[in-house]
Amino acid sequence: MDTNGNGKKGLPRLRDIIRRQQQDSDCYFQGGGADFPDLEFTYDDTDNHVNEIAELYSYTEQPELQLNVKAFEDQMEIYDFPPSWQKLPSENRKSVVMKLLDQLEVSSKPLRMRSARCLLYIAQGCWAEMQSDAEQQQWARNNSILLYQLGVFGAFTDLLNIEFENSTAAHVAMRKIAISLADSQDLRVILSVLYTITEVMRHEKSLGSTEFEGDVDAFCNEIAYSASDDLLIIKLLSMVTRFCSGSAPHFPMKKVLLLLWKLILVSLGGMNTLRDLKLDKRREFGLPYYNEDTMEIAKTMRSSSPPASASDLLEAQNQKRNTRPFRRSLMKQSSLDDHDTLGMELDSSMGGENGEDMNELSEFDERRPANETNDQMYTYNHETYRPISPPSPNALVLPKGLPWKPKVRQKDIDLFLDTARLKFLGYSLPGDRTTLFGLPEPIHEGVKTLNDHIYTSLAELQVQKEEEIARNPISTSEGEIEMTATEILYQAMLPNLPQYMIALLKILLAAAPTSKTKTDSINIMADVLPEEMPMTVLQSMKLGIDVNRHKEIIVKAVSAILLLLLKHFKLNHVYQFEFMSQHLVFANCIPLVLKFFNQNIMAYVGEKNAIPILDFPSCVIGDQPELTSESLEIGDSAAFSWRNMFSCINLLRILNKLTKWKHSRIMMLVVFKSAPILKRTLKVRHAMTQLYVLKLLKMQTKYLGRQWRKSNMKTISAIYQKVRHRLNDDWAYGNDLDARPWDFQAEECALRASVDRFNNRRYTQINDSDFEPVDNCLNSVLGTNHDLSESFKKHYELWLEQEVFGVPIEWDNLLEGDKYK
Amino acid sequence: MSKMKMADGSTILRRNRPGTKAKDFCRWPDEPFEEMDSTLAVQQYIQQLIRRDPNNIDLILKMPESQDEGVWKYEHLRQFCMELNGLAVRLQGECHPETCTQMTATEQWIFLCAAHKTPKECPAIDYTRHTLDGAACLLNSNKYFPSRVSIKESSVAKLGSVCRRVYRIFSHAYFHHRSIFDEFETETCLCKRFTQFVTKYNLMSKDNLIVPILEEENTPGESEA
Repeated sequence: MDTNGNGKKGLPRLRDIIRRQQQDSDCYFQGGGADFPDLEFTYDDTDNHVNEIAELYSYTEQPELQLNVKAFEDQMEIYDFPPSWQKLPSENRKSVVMKLLDQLEVSSKPLRMRSARCLLYIAQGCWAEMQSDAEQQQWARNNSILLYQLGVFGAFTDLLNIEFENSTAAHVAMRKIAISLADSQDLRVILSVLYTITEVMRHEKSLGSTEFEGDVDAFCNEIAYSASDDLLIIKLLSMVTRFCSGSAPHFPMKKVLLLLWKLILVSLGGMNTLRDLKLDKRREFGLPYYNEDTMEIAKTMRSSSPPASASDLLEAQNQKRNTRPFRRSLMKQSSLDDHDTLGMELDSSMGGENGEDMNELSEFDERRPANETNDQMYTYNHETYRPISPPSPNALVLPKGLPWKPKVRQKDIDLFLDTARLKFLGYSLPGDRTTLFGLPEPIHEGVKTLNDHIYTSLAELQVQKEEEIARNPISTSEGEIEMTATEILYQAMLPNLPQYMIALLKILLAAAPTSKTKTDSINIMADVLPEEMPMTVLQSMKLGIDVNRHKEIIVKAVSAILLLLLKHFKLNHVYQFEFMSQHLVFANCIPLVLKFFNQNIMAYVGEKNAIPILDFPSCVIGDQPELTSESLEIGDSAAFSWRNMFSCINLLRILNKLTKWKHSRIMMLVVFKSAPILKRTLKVRHAMTQLYVLKLLKMQTKYLGRQWRKSNMKTISAIYQKVRHRLNDDWAYGNDLDARPWDFQAEECALRASVDRFNNRRYTQINDSDFEPVDNCLNSVLGTNHDLSESFKKHYELWLEQEVFGVPIEWDNLLEGDKYK
Repeated sequence: MSKMKMADGSTILRRNRPGTKAKDFCRWPDEPFEEMDSTLAVQQYIQQLIRRDPNNIDLILKMPESQDEGVWKYEHLRQFCMELNGLAVRLQGECHPETCTQMTATEQWIFLCAAHKTPKECPAIDYTRHTLDGAACLLNSNKYFPSRVSIKESSVAKLGSVCRRVYRIFSHAYFHHRSIFDEFETETCLCKRFTQFVTKYNLMSKDNLIVPILEEENTPGESEA
């Protein structure tokens, strides 16, 4: 059994891949990739609704869809109704659902599952009656809302609980050598209904339509604000851990993860909610309004050409040397117009042999979002990407600039002032952030500019507050913890958070395209593989695509789950974020993600693991064309795989989140030799992807050595152009003293101590008795029962004699001395 | 009604003091709904109607004008659950876990007891107790029903499943403990009232109302198939 499905892609696909790889290597050697347009990929919370529904089903599940109609028709016959949902008056539809709900609570499992299948068919939009996909979608939407209104979601949550506890199924599955689709049939029906309703709700919410607003709100509240022990999200997370522990190998992980992702998304909110929450929180903390939205700006950026090979770079350098003086002066004026100090700094550091690469900046044509309304229009504008084309003077006249406003932290300003004072005055003034006495004029200017760009993050304030509470635990109160959806989820996840993280990463590892199926790793294929292995070439081609698609979807879901949780925890409280990220790091998330990118990333992004005519609902509506090697590709026109792009960006963002400002983890990037891997990822012509890669490269540049910088000036230029500048941050050339290797352990330990202190303070009720008020009420002190040993009770008089009467107590002393009066 | 008015007439305390004799229990004069000014007015009004004549179901179920329908449904269901405890107590004498090992009515459908985190098969009497307890918990839960004056639409949606589960107590009693059921029903008309209630507010499918209680009155037009 080839669980990877490798080598089963058939001729057309092979040809496709070879062609793609040729293009790939061509552009690599040309160094320009001029023939490679930008990918028209728009990053979002999810793909479109149709795809999100289609991805729920494997192609191997297709025969089961017929069981749903069958169940529905049988049931309708029992009810004495014609088997047509459309023609049923709405009263009767309700009545049918209520009867099915009644049957859902019957103890006989076949009866229960028949009813569940009926409800699934209804949620799927009663496709057998529909003429078109659009019609089916419409009905699926209305039916799902109706089902929710009548309480089907709750009833299926109960069913899920029953199946979760179903130990017979688990035992049967554990004894089998090869687990297949058949083992998870019931669970998949239940999860499909839950997912369909959730996805419809999510879609409605994202559309912002008012028609079912009340229901959508009620749904979101129900998901987010349950008591922590019956949060559905926790139930699903524990399904994941149980699966990974091997005690429930039949759990259909893809559906579990998809549902988990959508539930988190719908209850905590996606990108827009995160942005608004951040603005609200900053306002609440009295921080200045900050209007740069990373997602928005990154969407308007344009990609850079992929990095060139060394030989190509040499050639290009020789050609460019001629134009060097002219270009340098121009560049400085255009991109550094209003920051003179920065310009000076750059001049000195970029001088000498490295300076010539400055001119490559002209390849990157970027605008602030305000200037560019429709960036996608420009994606086929090849000229700007041709590296050797002479610079057109017009391009420099355009109002260009860096995409991000530079930032600086208070810490950096303090450091700057300290150094300046030590240099000019000979002593430091700790804690003084204003005195500029005795410092020369340029330093004054420098401080002014720094102060203009100061950015205080929420995290810094939260850390500060936490330190204050630790210092004065009695007098500083945190105030009431607001029970936001995130807070509730965190509290519920807290006891088992490490296990959840390990389990999610295990699944990510098993689903990564580079990982080989080992005997010891978990088998995530149980919910695609049919009971009987395919016989024909076409069938095995189909299964191969199905298996790869399955893995991709799992990666997509896991990456989205991790990113969403990290983002929300970070906003809610930075130590919640640190807790989760530390456990991710301990569970080897960083090398795992790097391993993921250590593949032919262009092939991965361009992967076409889909058979559009087999996607639900196309596979059941209208005439079915015969499946041939040609029809496998009908309707597939995308130049890239949406979900793979999405997963890549998610994983890059996770990596960024984990490593930002953390020396020890940046060193992991260096140690695991991430630079060549990341550099290859830069070949993906998509601005946002490149931005996150460049950020990862930027933070480790100074550790990569002079040789690396020399041969990667193009990448360094791209970093300069695309990534936010941190004033005073000598990221490329500095010899950082913080980076002493013996500090790493300490740094991680200190963080851990802070996180533990935070968790103990907030979530365990162990109060330090030293801080408790002393009980001095006679009645309650004497009324307390103390456990005294038998021998003590026997000889207490002796004790009294020795310890109480024998020791003179000078009561009068209490009255003497001022402090007792 | 006037003859029931208490002697002093100034203030009437509608309360059962400790030591109140059974015959004096709840024996206080009726009050018009408009004059009830407590937050529990709806409950008070419903109980008053029931005390006056449990047979007059139409009147009991007739919602006063300008009354919030969600609250009305909620209060009625609350009342049903309270009164159902009376049936449960009678059933305890006859319905033992050894004899009625499962919750059944007809058709040999055995129902799972949904009061548990993982629904499971309980003996009929346990099902009855668990379901009534579960219903009480839900209806008194601060989360779903924090107020008895206004109720969220999403919480009203929870009532359907309570009705569905509670009704099985009636059907079990009817099909397995007929004498107890009949005795209780003649006294209270509870099943009839419940049936009319869920039909009126479309909380259950008519086909699931298997106790033939409305037959004598309006058989025609009942079945829609």
